[in-house]
Amino acid sequence: MQAAVQNILDQMERHGYVTDPEIATAVYLAMELRKPLLIEGQAGVGKTEIAKVLATMLGVDLIRLQCYEGLDVNTALYEWNYPKQMLRIKMEEHDTRGVAEKENEIFSQEFLLKRPLLDAITRQDTSPVLLIDEVDRADEEFEAFLLEVLSDFQVSIPEIGTVKASHVPYVVLTSNRTRELSDALRRRCLYFWIDYPPFDKEVRVVKAKVPGINDVLAGQIGLFMQGIRSVRLIKTPGVAETLDWSLALVSLHRDHLDRDSVTETLACIFKDNRDVQKVNGKRLDVLLDAMHPNGSSPASLIPHVKEQLAALEQ
Amino acid sequence: MINREFAAKHASLTHNMVDFGGRLRAQGLLVTPSEVMDSLKALSLVDLTDRREFYLSLRTVMTSKPDDLPLFDQVFYSFWPTVWEEAAWDEGSDQMQLPSSDQASQDEDGTAGSSEGRMEVQALGEGDEGEGDEEVAGYSATERLEGKDFSLFEADELEEMIRVTLKLARKMATRLSRRMKAARHSSVVDRRRTMRLNLKYGGDVLELAHKRRKIKKTKLVLLCDVSGSMDVYSRFLLQFIYALQSNFVKTESFVFSTQLSRVTEYFRENDIFDALDKISKDVLDWSGGTRIGASLRTFNADWAASVLDQKTVVIILSDGWDTGDVDVLEAEMAELRRRAGRVIWLNPLMANPGYQPLCRGMRTALPYVQVFAPAHNLASLMDLESALSA
Repeated sequence: MQAAVQNILDQMERHGYVTDPEIATAVYLAMELRKPLLIEGQAGVGKTEIAKVLATMLGVDLIRLQCYEGLDVNTALYEWNYPKQMLRIKMEEHDTRGVAEKENEIFSQEFLLKRPLLDAITRQDTSPVLLIDEVDRADEEFEAFLLEVLSDFQVSIPEIGTVKASHVPYVVLTSNRTRELSDALRRRCLYFWIDYPPFDKEVRVVKAKVPGINDVLAGQIGLFMQGIRSVRLIKTPGVAETLDWSLALVSLHRDHLDRDSVTETLACIFKDNRDVQKVNGKRLDVLLDAMHPNGSSPASLIPHVKEQLAALEQ
Repeated sequence: MINREFAAKHASLTHNMVDFGGRLRAQGLLVTPSEVMDSLKALSLVDLTDRREFYLSLRTVMTSKPDDLPLFDQVFYSFWPTVWEEAAWDEGSDQMQLPSSDQASQDEDGTAGSSEGRMEVQALGEGDEGEGDEEVAGYSATERLEGKDFSLFEADELEEMIRVTLKLARKMATRLSRRMKAARHSSVVDRRRTMRLNLKYGGDVLELAHKRRKIKKTKLVLLCDVSGSMDVYSRFLLQFIYALQSNFVKTESFVFSTQLSRVTEYFRENDIFDALDKISKDVLDWSGGTRIGASLRTFNADWAASVLDQKTVVIILSDGWDTGDVDVLEAEMAELRRRAGRVIWLNPLMANPGYQPLCRGMRTALPYVQVFAPAHNLASLMDLESALSA
């Protein structure tokens, strides 16, 4: 492996992000090719975390733009500070200067409120990390505008002129795929799909993020989650749910999974009552049966558990 | 070995990459010369002796959506089998497995099928831009098929029909969203423009500049009857739902016969044929009897809270032949009407000359329906546009 990729992998791990060569390679290429990295995957698999750990790793600021339906240029790019402009105009009411001069004054940098996108391209010292979170939630109009910013890293403000980035930011976009992004935006980006982690990785994440958890419990949690994700649910739990659940179990001083500890804490894993009802029953029996430590490692039980759960779906 | 060959002759790697890019493009991936150049750049940055890194770098640069990944693997596997094998054997490879012989052949079939689907979709997209011969060909096909009752289709016309259905629904959705934009206006003050406008008065606000509120997209809930009496129609109606769902951001789809199942997730599949296959496999009482009332009750109890609001249009696709309790149907229709913005009922039987909504179920439901329209051929589905935008 390229030393640089290994280095990124090590650094991400050191900063508490359990990773693998796939993610490290994607991050490395995004940094070297200076292209935005589009990360897609289900909710709660750690997409946003990648941007955060990248910023920590580089020792630069993370600038975050959370997208939502109706997000517009004023909120994402810049806005004039109207109250301040008003006040200034009032204060200088009797000033004899011409309108053009006054206008120049109140439409200067001093009255400009930088929103995330403008902020990200006007950093003077270093390139920050710009996280454009859940870009699928913004409307298509905004996506088109974003495309423009991401291709040139410059924006034009009619009152001031064109602002060009002196330090091109590292850009990370995340999407939950609630709608398809345009091909134009996809083409502009490097692409990475994060899946739910395999058993080993998830157990490593749990151990890294939940101090004091014992190996037995971590292994059982890993097995439970691998099994439960094979069930067709309304909302499949992600790694975020695994961590919430692990923390809850540790706080309740549980050192292994049994019926009581699981039923008490189901709310950490399932966010929809229909899912709780579906799992709480035969499916839970299957999962709990697999938890009896009889010498076999949790990982080796996964196929068996999945098979039994699949039989219940029929 | 593979590696030495590539590393030694740089020109050959470039050549190979162009070829590789072409094959990916043929599979429907978004690979243009610019991606090929980026790939070469990426390869100059990584360790070429590491097969896994070689594979991962190309995948990162040349794919752009989840459905690309299996196609990419397939092309990669056939293009660089040795690299694939060594990469797959690399330690710590969680996700890459060497396809076993039967899995590989299965993959091939699967890929071939879905890639065909992809190219169709792409061709449709191009046609939509309104250029070239395809558009003309597509149009005449449309005209020919538009007025034909779904129940009269021959088996060999099905595929063409499906293509035309998708295309029409897409066009309709695009036009619809445009029309809604033009129709909507509101009186929100635009502070930025107001400031500028009033500079000439020295800062006193004498005139207000207005801006339009952001356009809210129509939300759709589709309830499609898949019971035996609807059999000949439901296949087309489901395609129509698929096309609507992929064009309206917020669409929830359900099918019902004796019970209700949510199928929104199935339609997220990129391939309509896969989606239909899975639905017919998973939805148990496909083409059984009909209990509309009970199905609506499930909908109202379990789903209405999360998917309905006053801006949502509910479309029920059914012939209204109900074997369930009429009182339940009436109560649930009333409830649905109360909670939804608009209720549309599409009935394929309405096309029959002299059809009267006399069957019990339809008669009971009718008072709670705002738009009652036929849905037996493409022309009738297109007319839905006006019902939705009204």
